[in-house]
Amino acid sequence: MALTVENLSKNFGKTTVFKDISFTVDRGEIVCIMGKSGEGKTTLLRCINNLETVDSGSIKINNLYLCNEVNGKIQYASKENMKEIRQEMGLVFQNYNLFPHMTVMENILEAPLFLKKTNRKDIEKRANYLISELELKDKENNYPYQLSGGQKQRVAIARACMLNPSILCFDEPTSALDESTRSQISKIIRNLASQNIAIIIVTHDNAFVEEISQRVITLSNGSISE
Amino acid sequence: MEMNVLNMLIPMTLNGLIITIGVFVITLVVSIPLSLVVALLRMSKNKIVSSIMGGYIYIMRGTPLLLQLMFIFFGFHYVPVIGYAFSRYQAIFIAFIINYTAYFAEIFRGGINSIDVGQYEGAAVLGLSRTHTFIKIIMPQVIRNVIPSIANEVITLVKDTSLVYILGVSDILKAAKAVSNKYSSFSPYIYIGVVYLAITAVLTRVLNRIENKFNYFR
Ligand SMILES: Nc1ncnc2c1ncn2[C@@H]1O[C@H](COP(=O)(O)OP(=O)(O)OP(=O)(O)O)[C@@H](O)[C@H]1O
Ligand SMILES: [Mg+2]
Repeated sequence: MALTVENLSKNFGKTTVFKDISFTVDRGEIVCIMGKSGEGKTTLLRCINNLETVDSGSIKINNLYLCNEVNGKIQYASKENMKEIRQEMGLVFQNYNLFPHMTVMENILEAPLFLKKTNRKDIEKRANYLISELELKDKENNYPYQLSGGQKQRVAIARACMLNPSILCFDEPTSALDESTRSQISKIIRNLASQNIAIIIVTHDNAFVEEISQRVITLSNGSISE
Repeated sequence: MEMNVLNMLIPMTLNGLIITIGVFVITLVVSIPLSLVVALLRMSKNKIVSSIMGGYIYIMRGTPLLLQLMFIFFGFHYVPVIGYAFSRYQAIFIAFIINYTAYFAEIFRGGINSIDVGQYEGAAVLGLSRTHTFIKIIMPQVIRNVIPSIANEVITLVKDTSLVYILGVSDILKAAKAVSNKYSSFSPYIYIGVVYLAITAVLTRVLNRIENKFNYFR
């Protein structure tokens, strides 16, 4: 399994967002997480990506625990393991969070050049591959403010894919897109899944779910159903 | 008569310019980097550190620079234990640096706070370290955002340098005063006003250049 979530609970102070939820996502699978506004979809995605800490339960990415309960106490991965887990995870934010002072190319190269997993030549080769794959060829020297919403999203996807993650998460990927860009993004996502990446999509968009999803997980009243 | 005024004023002005420009340059060169450190300490999670910085900034912004200059030169050696008699120039540089550092620190703090948390989160999920995120992702955006406010303070600093007269140091304004007294003429002040305007004109151009250079993104 790419992702194994077990008995996960999250509270914000006294409010329980979700309680004891468990599910798995396999590589190559496309799973949609649905639910009404405020049910905790974004929060769940943020927990999986270590942007929020959970209160109990475990999250396992491939064979490493991001967090686990040891003797009833929640324990997060060591610094070393965390680094590894980070590279297995990608997240495309709802508002993309591109770096505004960097060009498309610089946005895409920033993390791999920092992490130095391979040499610069290979990194640039992969960047160029992703740029043409995501149809950003003539935009590579543009700044984010010079891009349309759909283009920004594709930059965010390219940026997340640079590190070859095994899990890629999307928060409301269609919320800012029209009909035709939506079918473009579902083609891209399906293509990523076919490259053996586990895809997790948080969305409200029924038409999009119908188009793309193999499995739907619904969050409601703090628990999930499939 | 006017020739005599100029004959006396010009050499004195040139000497005064060394003081005016010296105070200006040294204050900026030391205060700007130092203020970033103060801003970070002010934002520190450590309550003691952040309140000490808060107190320092409050005092610097809550009292006139003129009073601070006087205190450091005339008053500081009466302070028990840490008291020390600074020379004129030491007092001037210390007062200007600690005063301007406080103002710049508040500008940087505002600039750092104005950056969307999404930028930190975007960097975190990519595996960038905190230091790398701060230097490469946050600071370039902060600098772009704070330049107009910093520029404002820089222009104010040009005029504030005239406060050194209180410690008897001869800057350009003091030169005007000396010549004015000698010839009972107001014109030296007009000439010096023009000198301030010229300095400000040059600075405004330089600052606009810098602002434009950092304005390549939105
Ligand atoms: N940082 C926070 N502090 C306190 N409460 C929070 C925080 N973030 C989210 N919440 C609360 O947690 C609940 C779930 O929020 P979340 O954003 O996960 O919902 P969502 O399902 O993504 O909603 P939407 O579909 O509107 O995006 C909400 O009640 C929200 O108010
Ligand atoms: Mg949400």
